[in-house]
Amino acid sequence: MSKVKCDHCHLEFSDEVMIHEDEYRFCCHGCQGIFHLLKDEGLESFYSKMGDTTLSPPTEQFEASTNFDTSAFSERFVTTTKEGLSQVSLVIEGIHCAACVWLNEKALHKMEGVIEAYINYTNNKARITWDPETLKLSAIIEMIRAIGYNAFPYDASLQEVRSNKERKEYYLRMAVATFAAMNMMWIAVAQYAGYFSGISQEIKTILNVAEWFLATPVLFYSGWVFYRGAYYGLKNKAVTMDLLVVTGSSLAYLYSIYITIFEKGEAYFDSVTMIITFVLFGKFLEVLSRKNAADTLDIISKHVPREVSIMDGENIRSVDVNEVKVGDVIVIRSGERSAIDGEVISGEGSFDESNLTGESEPIFKRIGDSIISGTTSIDALIHYRSTKDFAHSTLSNLVNLLENAMAHKPSIEQLANRLSQHFSSTILFLAIATFWTWFFWPHSFDRALMVGISVIIIACPCALALATPVATLVGLALGAKRGILFKSAAQIETMAKSTMIVLDKTGTITQGRPEVVHSTLYDPFDFGVLHTLVSSSKHPISRGVLEYLDRTGELIRSNVIEEVREIPARGMVGRANGLMIAGGNALLMQELGIIVDSFSDKSLFYYAVDKKLAAVYELRDLPKERASESIEALKRSNLRVVMLTGDHEAAALRVAGEVGIDEVYSHLSPEDKATFITQARDEGHIIVMAGDGVNDLLALAAADIAIAMGNGSDIAIEVSDVILMNDSLTSLAEAFGISRKTYGLIKQNLAISLIYNSITIPLAMMGYVIPLIAAISMSFSSLLVVGNSMRVRWMYK
Amino acid sequence: MDSWVVAMMLGASIFLGAIALTAFLWGIKNGQFDDEKKMMNQVQYDDESELNDAANQQRKQEAINKKEYKPE
Repeated sequence: MSKVKCDHCHLEFSDEVMIHEDEYRFCCHGCQGIFHLLKDEGLESFYSKMGDTTLSPPTEQFEASTNFDTSAFSERFVTTTKEGLSQVSLVIEGIHCAACVWLNEKALHKMEGVIEAYINYTNNKARITWDPETLKLSAIIEMIRAIGYNAFPYDASLQEVRSNKERKEYYLRMAVATFAAMNMMWIAVAQYAGYFSGISQEIKTILNVAEWFLATPVLFYSGWVFYRGAYYGLKNKAVTMDLLVVTGSSLAYLYSIYITIFEKGEAYFDSVTMIITFVLFGKFLEVLSRKNAADTLDIISKHVPREVSIMDGENIRSVDVNEVKVGDVIVIRSGERSAIDGEVISGEGSFDESNLTGESEPIFKRIGDSIISGTTSIDALIHYRSTKDFAHSTLSNLVNLLENAMAHKPSIEQLANRLSQHFSSTILFLAIATFWTWFFWPHSFDRALMVGISVIIIACPCALALATPVATLVGLALGAKRGILFKSAAQIETMAKSTMIVLDKTGTITQGRPEVVHSTLYDPFDFGVLHTLVSSSKHPISRGVLEYLDRTGELIRSNVIEEVREIPARGMVGRANGLMIAGGNALLMQELGIIVDSFSDKSLFYYAVDKKLAAVYELRDLPKERASESIEALKRSNLRVVMLTGDHEAAALRVAGEVGIDEVYSHLSPEDKATFITQARDEGHIIVMAGDGVNDLLALAAADIAIAMGNGSDIAIEVSDVILMNDSLTSLAEAFGISRKTYGLIKQNLAISLIYNSITIPLAMMGYVIPLIAAISMSFSSLLVVGNSMRVRWMYK
Repeated sequence: MDSWVVAMMLGASIFLGAIALTAFLWGIKNGQFDDEKKMMNQVQYDDESELNDAANQQRKQEAINKKEYKPE
């Protein structure tokens, strides 16, 4: 069997299953459609541009695009520019390569009425400006969908805009500061050379004026953030690092002007520039690693259905979720997510409640059962009567609780911040004391002032400001190499201090999908038929069997089965080679008249050919590889390890026993989990929570540190502070190792800079510090801190 | 050596540097460095059709602007 590439998505499939069309091959009609569309539009150079990348084949389930034209929608997402054009921000799904960006922009530009389409490749966000008189937004969305991508709107809320603006502002300030600092250096070289070998006062003044010229924008433009920070600090009656930076550099600046004009002594312009530049970089690293909460809520609202189908007499009508009243009859089809709580009045089928309960087994619903919003219908077409309106349904409650929890996320004060407050006030006090001592121990005013200023300059916290950011950056890089993504640098420190780790069962400790652990074969049969049968279902059990068949590597020929039918909550039946085949649970077997011994604490999949039992597969959600080792490692590092699950007790205890967790709480609702965490926090624990599903969201948001598995749900990843890309518990233990290492490094760096200061400050107070020493000391202490951080990087290879 | 030479050279070189800095700042403000991934790939999409596309967009923009200013 040879594998052929699909001409659109470039994924490889065997030749038989492909759609043949002249010399082209397509894996599905979706790809075929897009291929022709691009050809017609003259955009086929896309394929040469995309190179070796593969695309995901287009999906068909889209919410009706006319929603995008409603006034409620445009009120929320569409803005109007001053020229009267409309503008919307979209997140485009399915962008894999630069060519995808090109294609989207091109296709949109070709549309009449689109004025500008700008897509950011890094975060897949698009900004589209169009003329509302010639074009509707729905047409734009349809175009994006037609070429094989999907778009959903997001509120380019103030927060995101603001944080982007802030970052840009820092770039500008840093560019100016770096430019000035670098030019300052070569002027300073001349100054120092002159200091030792003699220099005429005239040249010295010229150099001073040049430095003055360079230092001014640095202090007042680049250093503006420190003035602002110091002002707000003082307003809250706090002595901040900013205040120290501002007083030190401003005084040094004024003093240097005085020196320049009256042509005596040495100017400190180079120190001013260096301080501002170094500390600004440190501050920028902090800003860069701060988490952007704006994106989180966008993703959450994406998961809430915006409209539902309700029965209006005989007709089915789509209405906005907010318009649904208690008692309305809602229709839910397979694959749809319910938005409103209710009770089934007709139809039956399985629901995936893993979102809310964490249980991987689908739940079978029939008349009279309740439907919880947020759950997805797997195969059911159900009519149900709403028992609550949207605002009071489980799903929107969950979203509200989540938003609430995100807003009140605890923050643990960082060591460096606490330290810098004491440090700043001490230094300021010392500087003032030094000035008065020199002044009254008869010295001239400018000599006393110079010594006082030199104390501040020498103490100026370059090393202190760099200590934390550099160390955390090293920690971030170490983690990233091992597939551990810390979203925010500050979290490393909190994680290092944590005392308790809470784990979710399904998907965190276990693999989250059932796997065949045992198989019994009664009758020889054609595995190919079974393979084809199970691959026709998306049920996790069938998936598990399918995977097992693939894994055991028996020769599998694809087979034709006729009349394949899924029977909700039973299994599948079909016909192959004239024989009736059936695969499913004990219930299905009973209905076929096959007597099976169905007692097992595992899930069983029976396969029967011609009403005779052929095979039984036992499936179970197994713990991940090396889970117990990792739990052991966590315990060794003095952490209290707790497992929470929505599953029933027996399953929970079994898994806990296997991996060696002693503290287990089972049968918890999402709210219970969050309550558990809040309580433990009140007892004084610093808690790390690891989870992967929507059912863990609240708990994740309540914990000090939230860790999500890389293949967990989007929302869980968004809410989390740390993401484990390879899903393994080993990297969880590693994440702790790295965070503790990094925290140790932060402490070392702070100690280095403090020891450094305790040597240099007395020197400065005695009046031994000339500009050269100040400059050297500043660079040297910063180098020490950076060097120390790099050392760990080498060690931790 | 006359010190004005030093002054002039200092002034000239800082001035030249400042021009480069201004250009860089303009680039940042203009959003040219906003999307690091796209920026690196931009060179691949820099042929005639791109120019045409850009020109087309500009024409559209101008058409809209004209419509706005047309007296009723």
